[in-house]
Parts: sequence; C-alpha cells; structure tokens
Amino acid sequence: MVWNRVAVVGAGLIKMGELFEQSYEQMAAAAFEAAVASVDKGFEPHQVDAAFVATQRGTLWGQEGIGGNTIPTAIGLVGIPCTRIENACPSGSDAFRVGAMAVASGVHDVVLVIGVEKMRDKSTEEGLLSRAASGHPIFTRGETAPVLFAPFATRHMHEFGTTREMLASVAVKNHYNGARDPYAHFQNEITVDDVLNSAPVCHPLHLLDCCPQTDGAAAVLLVPAERAAEFTDRPVFVAGFGAATDHPYLHEKDSFVEIKATRLAAQRAYAMAGVGPGQIDCAEVHDCFTITEILDVEDLGFFDKGDGGRASLEGDTALTGRIPVNTSGGLLAKGHPIGATGVAQITECWWQLRGQANDRQIDTHNGFALQHNAGGRGSGVSVVNILTNRK
Amino acid sequence: MTSNSEARTGARIWGVGAGAPALRVTTADIGAAWGRSGRSQIAACAPDEDTLTLAWDAASAALDAAGVEAEAVDAILWGTSRPPFAEGPSLAFLAAALGLAADVEGALLCGSTHSGMEALNAAADMIAAGSAAVALVVVSDALRPGLGTGFETRCGAGAAAVVLGAHGGAATLGRRVTNTRPFVDRYRGDGESDNRDLYDPRLFREEIFLPSVEGVGRELAQSSVRAWSLPDPDGRLGAVVAKTLGATTLASGAVYAAVGDTGAAAALLGALGALDTPGVVALVGTGGGRTTGVLVDVDAPVPGASRAGAVLAAGRRASYAQLLRARGQLVPGGETIPMGVPPESALFVRGADEMLGLLGGRCVDCGTISTPPTIHPTCINCGGPKLEPVSLARGGAVHTYVINHTMPAPFVAPLPIAVLDMDDGARLMLQVIGDGKDVEIGGRVELVLRKYAHERGVPVYGFKARLVVGRQEVTS
Repeated sequence: MVWNRVAVVGAGLIKMGELFEQSYEQMAAAAFEAAVASVDKGFEPHQVDAAFVATQRGTLWGQEGIGGNTIPTAIGLVGIPCTRIENACPSGSDAFRVGAMAVASGVHDVVLVIGVEKMRDKSTEEGLLSRAASGHPIFTRGETAPVLFAPFATRHMHEFGTTREMLASVAVKNHYNGARDPYAHFQNEITVDDVLNSAPVCHPLHLLDCCPQTDGAAAVLLVPAERAAEFTDRPVFVAGFGAATDHPYLHEKDSFVEIKATRLAAQRAYAMAGVGPGQIDCAEVHDCFTITEILDVEDLGFFDKGDGGRASLEGDTALTGRIPVNTSGGLLAKGHPIGATGVAQITECWWQLRGQANDRQIDTHNGFALQHNAGGRGSGVSVVNILTNRK
Repeated sequence: MTSNSEARTGARIWGVGAGAPALRVTTADIGAAWGRSGRSQIAACAPDEDTLTLAWDAASAALDAAGVEAEAVDAILWGTSRPPFAEGPSLAFLAAALGLAADVEGALLCGSTHSGMEALNAAADMIAAGSAAVALVVVSDALRPGLGTGFETRCGAGAAAVVLGAHGGAATLGRRVTNTRPFVDRYRGDGESDNRDLYDPRLFREEIFLPSVEGVGRELAQSSVRAWSLPDPDGRLGAVVAKTLGATTLASGAVYAAVGDTGAAAALLGALGALDTPGVVALVGTGGGRTTGVLVDVDAPVPGASRAGAVLAAGRRASYAQLLRARGQLVPGGETIPMGVPPESALFVRGADEMLGLLGGRCVDCGTISTPPTIHPTCINCGGPKLEPVSLARGGAVHTYVINHTMPAPFVAPLPIAVLDMDDGARLMLQVIGDGKDVEIGGRVELVLRKYAHERGVPVYGFKARLVVGRQEVTS
C-alpha cells in the first residue's frame, strides 16, 4: 500500500455532558479551539485546508438536512471544503480515517477532523423512539438501542458462562477511569453492586451497563508526516486503519457472540500497521454497553473468544492491567456523543502516546494505541484506527 | 310480531375454531370502581390484540381443524361490531394475514352485534347459490362500553370461525328465523368510541329484548333442540329466555362466564363447544333491532369444537386500570411522539404482503432464506442473485433474546424480543407475547398475528412469537 505518512499534531475536546446551554455550533467552535491550542508550536486556524465533520443524528437537533455544513461558519473558516461523514456510531472514527486518507493521498495538506453531536436537544423518549421502528415495517418494533446489544449478552452468557458481575466489572473500571478524566460526563466511581442493583433497562442489561446520552465535540488536526516538525516535536502518527461491514439487521447475523465487522476491521488495521494485538499498549474501544467492550476485547484479538468477561473481572483491562482499555472512561463514563465519540477516543490515544494522560497515564513502551467503534443498528459497521509515537 | 323467513341452505360445517384475547378482568374489580359488586369475569384485548387479531386466531384454528388450505377458501365473511378501520382495509388485512388468495370473495358485516349472524347467513347463502365452494365465516368482537354503563361488567371479547362447504363435513346449517324492528338497543353514534348506556333497562328488557329473542327462540324450539346459545347482555336475560323456551342445555352459559358478552361473536362462540355432540344446536344473535336464530344439525363431532373450551380458559389476570389502558380508555396526557415511518407510506405498501404474509427469498444456490424480500435482492449468505419466494415457517426456537424494560408509548414494557431460528432455517427477530419470564434459549415458539402499534390512527399488524410451552394460563 503506497500512502504518505500522516501525523496528528493537535487534538482536543470539550467537557462532555448534558450541554443544554450550548448549541451544536458552540460545541464545535470550542472543540476546534481546544485542538488549535494543543499544537505545541502554535497553529493558525486559517492553515486548515479542509474539514471532515462527523455528525450521526442531525434529526436529534432538527438539522438532518444540513448537519455538518454549519461548521465552517461556526469555526470562522467559511470557504474551506467541508464534508460530513455519517457512518453510524463509528462516524467519528471514519471521519478520522477519511481525513487521514485525504492527507495520505496528497490532496489536502492540513485537515481538521471534527466530531460534533447533540444528543439531548430532543427528549429521551424521542431519541429512543427514533430507533424503535425503522427500515422495513416487518422489523421488530421496540428495538431501542439496548435491544441491539443485549441479545449478544444473553448469548455470550449462555455459551461462555459470562456473568452479570463480569459485565458490571467493565462499568466499574470505566467509571474508575472516568473519575480521573476531567472531560468525562460521569466522574464518579461505582461498585459492582451499584451496577447489579441499578434499574433493569433491557434484560440482561441494567442502567449502569449502558452509556448515557451525551452532548459533546472533539477535534484533531492532521498533517503530512514530513510537515509535523513545523507544529510539534512530539508527533503521533497514523499507523494504520481498517473499516468493515456486516449485515445491519440482527436477524441476518450468524453469530451473537462476536461482532464480525470489528474482527474484519481489526485484521485490516493490524495488517496496515504491521503490528498485532500483542503490541498495542492501550485501546479506546466501543463500550456503548458493558457487553460491547467484552465482545470488542475478544474481536480485537486482546483475549480469546469467550475470555473477555473473565479478563475484565480480573483486571486485565484496568489501568494497571496487561492491556488497559478505555482509559478515558469510555462511552460508559466519558459519554457517547455519537459523531464526537471516535474523535474523542483519538484524543485520548494521542494523550497517552505523548505522555499527557496525567492520572490515567499508562506505560506505552510499544508505542501503539488502538481506537475502535462499532455500530449501525446491529453493528453493521466497524472502524479501527491505530496510532503510534514511533517515528 | 315475529316475521319468519325459513331457509334450509344445507351448507355443511367442515371445522370450527375459537379465539380469545389475553386479558381476564373480574367484574368485582370493575364494579368496585362504581360502587357495585360482581362475581364473574370478562375477557379483554391486550394492547396488541383487537377484533382483527382475534378473527385471525379463530379463522386459523378453524382452517386447521377443517384441514383446508388458505388458498382453497373462495369467500370470507367477517362479522364484527368493531372493525379496526371505521372505513378502510379491515377485510383485506385479515385476508392477507390468513394467506387467502387475492381473488377471494367476501364481505365485512358490521353496524351492530347482529353482524355475526349476518356473516353466517351470507356465507351459507353463497354456498347454497354455488358462488363459493368453500366459505370462511369469522365473527369477532371486542366490546368497548362506556365507563360506568350498565353492561360494562358484561362486555367482553372473543371470536369464532366456521369453515363451510357444500358437501362433506360433520354438521348442517338448518332452519333460519329472523326478526327486524326499528328499536334503539345498544348503540353508539357516528364518531363515538364507546357504547352508550341504556336509556331505560326495564324498557329494553320488556319491550325490546325479550319479545324479539323469545319470539325467534319459540320458532326454533318447535324443533327438538339439544343445546342453545342465547344472548345474555346483562348476566340475567339469557337465563330468562332459556326458562321461557324450556331450554335445559344452555351451552353459551359457560362461554359468557369465561369471556363475557362477545357481541357479534356471541351466538356462534356460545354454540361452538356444543358442536362436539350429535343433535340439534340452536344459536340466536341479536343487536341493532335485529334478532336471528339458526339451527345446526350435528351428525358427528365437528372438528375443532372440542378445542374451544381450552382457548377460552386461557388468559392472564389484569386489573381494571390495565383493561382501560389496553382499550384506549385510559390515556396518558401530553403529546404522543410519531413514529418515523407513516403507516400509509410507500414503505408499508411495498412491505404489506411481507409483513402480513411472512415471506422470504430462498437462495437457489445455497438454500439460505433472506427476509424480507424487498430489501434483500441478494442472498445474505452467498450473495447469490437468484432467490425464489417462499412462505416462512411458523414454528421455531429462541436463539437469543432480551426483555426491554424502557419503552416509551406506544410500546408497553416489559417487552420481550427474540432472535428466532425458524424450522425452515430462516432467522427472524420478533416481539414475544407475554412478560418474558418464561423465555429461554432453545424455547419453542409459534407465530401469531398481533397488532404492533396504532400510528396516526392506523393499526399496524404483524407476527409475534408465542411460547409453545410454559405459557401462562389461568383457568377461569
């Protein structure tokens, strides 16, 4: 594969949460400002050649028709080419992948990838209902978001003896990490009992097995590797990426103990980066529900199939574990502003690889961090990006 | 005062089926709200049931009992006082969900609880005239009384169906007696949802109900009647008529006790169990100023008749508040949020046959079934482009499942949803009837027609899974 190496020279995000007081455009401008401010040697906004915007559900703030197109105006860069990427929950991951390809191809020099999502401008009920019927009238009505993942939990528990305590341990770990992340939606620690005793949402998942509805925005700045030194002496590089699809509807799937698209996307990303799961120091993975992280750490190759629950319960994915996962708090604690999620995960990887993760900092001796999202109704799409601090 | 018209159509009964909704409410519970007592119970539709799904239940059972394929039915006659559309495709939806042919004849008869008798007679006449060789009669009702009205504790829900043919079968439709008078009995006005209370119960009893029903009954009683199905709108009048007629076997009594007054379905449903024994059964239906009685001469147990009792005995206990919510008489305040796709839109036109008929496409190359066909131009397994249309299996097993506890209206939690491995190898994901407590991986299910939602005034029907074993059953 012939492509020009791409460097990430800036990254930033806003404090995630129910940001009723902020508009989509205000969130975007603040995230862009944070990314610009993070550039070690300074960055002028007009240096941006092109922007890729990740916003998944414009319907939730009444702007499906033009979602993304207000960004150049909002960040003071009207006139630049700006394209919205919508690819379900991996929208942010995929905007990063596409942005990196735009730089790698030589078409654009300095690319802004920005993810912005307004989840709370409409009521929770309306957000739920917008998911509850779609595609074809025969599709089971009542498929709110947890229904898309809970069947995997039921089957994983059936086939591998995964327990609710194992699921809960994912939420406990991610809240522990979130309590150490000033940008996280939730910054409180919880216990396994808190999770087990929380309200049932979608059996076998309870409230604390589920990520919140979060408003948020994040932005990163990409340049060709040979120009990285203009901006920083500590660049992070794009080592590889992979995207894959699977059948989008649950009844079309072969297996309810794996997310096939994740396995395929990871294979492609590892091949492109020339590394394997054993060389990844830390990973930001899609934990919209606790079961999702358990599937992820298996499908990304960190653990054998069926072993993800045990690994989580025994601390293998904690900050001090063999492969720290979701050091930022993950979707469960940091939040899941859909289009912003992947870009915010990239930001965490960038901090970890530059040694800037403060209380969450882990040992990155291999120099590789992995970022992953899956989604699209029944996880019909998955994107994996691998970053490195190796020159 | 009784005007008689006599006819021996000779239509033969091949099989029968019954349908009963999921909920059972004690009349004591209803009465308590209004300072009255009660010792009986009624049946009521769950939110996913209505007269159409009840009709489907009964008709499917009758076709099964008669051993008749749906495509063989020439005519469908459906009697109900409450079709799901005041104006619209009620009969077309039912016919499609039953898998009847697109050129099926038929009629929807409504307007009063007498419509059940009208459906039975119309079907018999079609057989007699030779315009149908196989006719399906379906009668179903789910009464919706005004709150606190006199008949409220009696108004129930249920369905019955009969497959008629010119020859064969186990019983014959015989003498018919009818009476029409311009009196106002139970009614609701145009655009009204609930039945109005009687103006004067004594007037109704003495001048309207008893003269009409007893008059028809006396004509039928001239034959040697073994068992009767008589209307009983208040829990007393049926016994009064039976005494007048000297009826010793009141077959409809047990049916009223189990499910209440089933309106347009009452006459036929009340007689269903009695068709299991040779002899003459008389059934009388009334409503809208009309009363009609028919004799059925049973010469051998009618297929399906013995199963009716078990259908009526099933059901789960519900409170008066749950009943009112299910009937749409207790509604939350505030704006309802419209669903994403209008049920009148192109998506539903394209998907109608697939939703009501459960169709799939079987790959000619690898045999995998992809469903629904309109969104699967190619095979989900091998990508092959050649798919042949198939009807999906109606039985299967649970592969995995969830129970959704967080559902905004119109959904009602807890809502079990399962991924199913069907017996033909297809996979479906459907709602499961019940609260999910008995759902388990590997559990057997059968598919039944239910109402998924009521959007923009349009009922949306589709199939749900029902557990074959471990079903919650409460004997009345």
